[in-house]
Amino acid sequence: MTHPTTPARQEGPLLDGGGPGSGKSASGGGGGSPWSARLFRADVRTLSLIGVLVGLALIGGLTKPDAFLATSNVQLILTQASVIGVVTVGMTFVITSGGIDLSVGAIVALASVWATTVATQEYGFAGILFTAVIVGLGCGLVNGVLIAYGGMVPFIATLAMLASARGLALQITEGKTQMVTIPSVLDLGERDAYLLGIPPLVLVFAAVTVIGWLVLNRTTFGRRTVAVGGNAEAARLAGIDVRRQRLYLYLLSGLCCGIAAFLLIVLAGSGQNTNGNLYELDAIAAAIIGGTLLSGGRGTVTGSVLGVLIFITIQNIFALNNLESATQQIAKGAIIVAAVLVQRRTSHTP
Amino acid sequence: MAPEPPLPGAEPVTSADTPPLLTMSGITKSFPGVRALDGVDLEVRAGEVHCLLGQNGAGKSTLIKVLAGAHQPDGGRITWRGDTVTLKSPIAAMRLGVATIYQELDLVEGLSVAENVFLGHEPTAAGFVVRGREARNAAAGLLRRLGHPEIDPARLVGELSAAQQQIVSMARALSHDVRLIVMDEPSAALDPDEVANLFRIVADLTADGVAVVYISHRLEEIRRIGDRVTVLKDGRAVAGGLPAKSTPTRDVVALMTGRNVEYVFPERPARAALAEPLLTVRGLTRADEFAPLDLDVRPGEIVGLAGLVGSGRSEILETIYGARKPDAGQVHVDGRALKTGSVRAAVRAGLGLAPEERKAQALLMLESITRNVSVSSMSRFSRGGWLDRGAEFTAARRATRELSLKPDRPSAPVRTLSGGNQQKAVLARWLLRGCRVLLLDEPTRGVDVGARAELYAVIRRLADDGLGVLLVSSEVPEVLGLADRVLVLREGRVVHTAPARDLDEHRVLDLVMEGSPAS
Amino acid sequence: MSDKPSLPTSATRRRLLFGAAALSGGAFLTACTSNEPKEGSGGQAADAPVADDKPGKPVTIGFAGPQADHGWLNAINVNAKERAKKYKDVTLEITEGSNDTAAQIGQIDTLINKKVDVLVILPADGKAMTQAGLKAMRAGIPVVNLDRIFANPQAYRCWIGGDNYGMGLNAGHYIGEQLKDKKNAKVVELAGLDNLELTKQRTEGFDAALKNYPNVKKVARQAAEFTVESGQSKMSQLLQAQKNFDALWNHDDDQGVGALRAIEQAGRDDFFMVGGAGALSAMQAIESGESVLKATVLYPPTMAASAIDLARALGQGKGIGGMAEFEIPSSITLYSAVVTKDNVKQYMSTGFK
Repeated sequence: MTHPTTPARQEGPLLDGGGPGSGKSASGGGGGSPWSARLFRADVRTLSLIGVLVGLALIGGLTKPDAFLATSNVQLILTQASVIGVVTVGMTFVITSGGIDLSVGAIVALASVWATTVATQEYGFAGILFTAVIVGLGCGLVNGVLIAYGGMVPFIATLAMLASARGLALQITEGKTQMVTIPSVLDLGERDAYLLGIPPLVLVFAAVTVIGWLVLNRTTFGRRTVAVGGNAEAARLAGIDVRRQRLYLYLLSGLCCGIAAFLLIVLAGSGQNTNGNLYELDAIAAAIIGGTLLSGGRGTVTGSVLGVLIFITIQNIFALNNLESATQQIAKGAIIVAAVLVQRRTSHTP
Repeated sequence: MAPEPPLPGAEPVTSADTPPLLTMSGITKSFPGVRALDGVDLEVRAGEVHCLLGQNGAGKSTLIKVLAGAHQPDGGRITWRGDTVTLKSPIAAMRLGVATIYQELDLVEGLSVAENVFLGHEPTAAGFVVRGREARNAAAGLLRRLGHPEIDPARLVGELSAAQQQIVSMARALSHDVRLIVMDEPSAALDPDEVANLFRIVADLTADGVAVVYISHRLEEIRRIGDRVTVLKDGRAVAGGLPAKSTPTRDVVALMTGRNVEYVFPERPARAALAEPLLTVRGLTRADEFAPLDLDVRPGEIVGLAGLVGSGRSEILETIYGARKPDAGQVHVDGRALKTGSVRAAVRAGLGLAPEERKAQALLMLESITRNVSVSSMSRFSRGGWLDRGAEFTAARRATRELSLKPDRPSAPVRTLSGGNQQKAVLARWLLRGCRVLLLDEPTRGVDVGARAELYAVIRRLADDGLGVLLVSSEVPEVLGLADRVLVLREGRVVHTAPARDLDEHRVLDLVMEGSPAS
Repeated sequence: MSDKPSLPTSATRRRLLFGAAALSGGAFLTACTSNEPKEGSGGQAADAPVADDKPGKPVTIGFAGPQADHGWLNAINVNAKERAKKYKDVTLEITEGSNDTAAQIGQIDTLINKKVDVLVILPADGKAMTQAGLKAMRAGIPVVNLDRIFANPQAYRCWIGGDNYGMGLNAGHYIGEQLKDKKNAKVVELAGLDNLELTKQRTEGFDAALKNYPNVKKVARQAAEFTVESGQSKMSQLLQAQKNFDALWNHDDDQGVGALRAIEQAGRDDFFMVGGAGALSAMQAIESGESVLKATVLYPPTMAASAIDLARALGQGKGIGGMAEFEIPSSITLYSAVVTKDNVKQYMSTGFK
């Protein structure tokens, strides 16, 4: 037994995650009205996101009943959410710690082109996967060292990484599209590879989500992340190695980008320096509408994933109804504003 | 020399029988789940110092925010010189002549003194070109008037000390046509001589007919400068217009707390300090902050550091703790030398710090009590990084119960706790960690009178259980009442060491001022 | 009545489409000039000096283009360099590509100061770069404006570029011809970046051509972003929305890589696809005949080679062979040929990676 159950577990569950899902388990504390009101609000946050998703599903189902509700469309939405979803899980950790990673899109681009060069492809499936992950980790390491030990502001350090990684990606490809020629990689993105109707990409996304949730809510690493984001000075004076934690967090974000790059290679069957365009903004937006505080100290993997699903579902509904991308962008902006307003309302305290 | 600008709002001193400058009656204000004000009445006359007393959570902050236009009341009536008014916004309140100096100063650190003083109403040419020289001259005049001509109006506010910043904040208030100034615990961060200057300013203002609403935890201050007192408790005014000078302390305390205590220090156990020192500091130095320091703390002993703000007290604690790197010297715990400049090494060796700025330096305000308590001991409840939250919860609750932390609900967010209970959460953190030496920096700052005695008892009990305690406080009675042994600091140097019972407040004040034992 | 087709017969059309294809992009100048001008029948054209492969007066050509972050733009650079290398009398001063208007203006200033003989400019943004073109012209340096046109004709001596409207037109006509016998034929359009003018022009041309075929209806249009990733994403959604259709026009072969991937993933082969631009991978797919991609409409990057030819001719004060005028034209719009399996061999060498 890795973690024995103790009597206390029954009599008073702890506040977990700070995520929207946390409310239910903390109700054991009972009593006081401000606290229970807070719980209620915490739950409202997740529920409102699920509500938005259900609302979108209704709109989709009403406007395009046969196309939207088809299994293949659900598979499509989840598949398309996978790449940006994995990036967003990493971003959620970074934002929770009070940081920001603007380089995620560029790292995805660099990892995806490095992993699809002719030289890399000679090593087959493993070569591509390994390269994507190592490039992601390497970029994360540079970010982490610059921020944690070089004292650079995350915004600037990752902005510099954004520029350099995009530049390097362009240099590698010279603007050309690098086709993947390894059949086992290509096959992974096709219908025959679905397990019980679930695309492998979605399985990876689900695994990253579950692991991300567990790490944030059930491990010392997650706890330290929240502590650093909530009050870095207090965390330092409490004996937490804040710098090492920051380094790990950017490594984690880089790792997620590497995984996402591999998923994108599988999905698109190629690597291109334009990959991951504006992922940083999508990932940040999804995390924020999910309920992660941009100032740090509170993060929710569940919320972030719901945020990603909302964005992708909107995109899907607009495409199915053959609406212009301009309208789609307007709707996306409106959703961000609405979600943040709802959260301000539900989490406002005097 | 430019003529000094007259203090605004000058008008004949009003006597007690003129109509009040401000009346607030039946003010109510609720926040989700909390009724912060439950029908408060307040009457302030021109030219008086009206003291507002109450424990934390009594509603003082909410009341002054209503007065400043920052909160809108749910009910009640405000009249200003007999006319009913609504204070829709801070600007509306300012136009009437109400200025507020908050405890947490609302200055822009990146702007100069003059720019801060005239922020929002800069003297301009052609409506938009800021006339910098004029602003600086006017600011210099105000600062001279406030007894601080040494503050350069062109300096950045971020470079000033806390006391100087407060003066700037006051200059800003006076730059308006002000008739009522609200001061929220203005003396909290000040040294005695600075407090004396503050009182002089208050006296000047009232002499010019300006009313001052003065909030403080220090009853002796209220006795010195207050005219009348309004006591708040649980969102109500339990007493209004009491004479500040003549109301007995025990009555005021009783009104505030429902109890008859102010400072109650636990008894010192009679015991020979025979044990080997837990904490040994030898030759610890940081240039410009404190001179080489030698210090021992034995198990069961509370050692107090007395000194003025800026005498190096906090810096010493933080350097011992590894949060600052010393230029020279060593810290030993249980005879073993610590790696200097490493908080982690200090924590591992058994040191624990309760820092001065509790909210900024110790607490994770969004988190629960449990998480705040367990944050330094997480590895004890984890295996391979995986938290055993049951064990964590049980252990954290054991620690908080030992300190009688209220509420006894470990999942409550720490920001909902009172100052005293927040401090207990910090102490519980170190108790849980199994720490050997506690470093306490201003342990009762922001803790209301009633809760202080309880905190003193907790600290003494921890010492009795074998911990060593190193205590820093700017309240001399606190150091004298709580500590066994006292080191008096002046300008980063220990000028006197003595058992606490051999010292009294005057003696200590003489020492910190003069630097040599007065005899 | 008004929408009654008023177009040539299919035979004429085919000749129009494929006959014109012989004039392929950059090949045309040399194709023309390689024929020695014949002794004229009294025309003055014979006396005009025309550009040819023979070395002439040395010319320094400055070339400023955008950052090559796309296959087509990379091909532009390659074409320009290769072409310049071919001529012993041409020195090419090529700048680091930039998408930043200010940076590009700076680069052009540098080239002006270096006193190059002729400038070839592919602006990052045509309108925004007009001043740079004017400045060069005023400094006496003739400008060959490549593809993205300046706002003011005084800013260039000669403009050469692709025909976005014509690209859509030819794609539409090709699809219309293929489907003309099918009742209620459905067509889907996968456009490029919607906030670019050229995307709108391509769509307008496509729609105009489809008007000629009343049996063909465009049922859906989505805009991708010229990237593989966006092509895959938008195409998979289009496929989800449109359970059956007959033809697809994709504006750009780069995003087409993603679109083809999506089509493959969805297991669809019930329609044929027409691409745009002329990427090598697209031409290879057309040649193999195994994929749904049956044709692509050129937007030839060889125009950069032609621009070098024009610049050289300008520098040497020559005209174009095969034309009567002394001077080279002020504007040359290239033809967007349709490449199919029948003629793909001919174009394969112009395909870009």
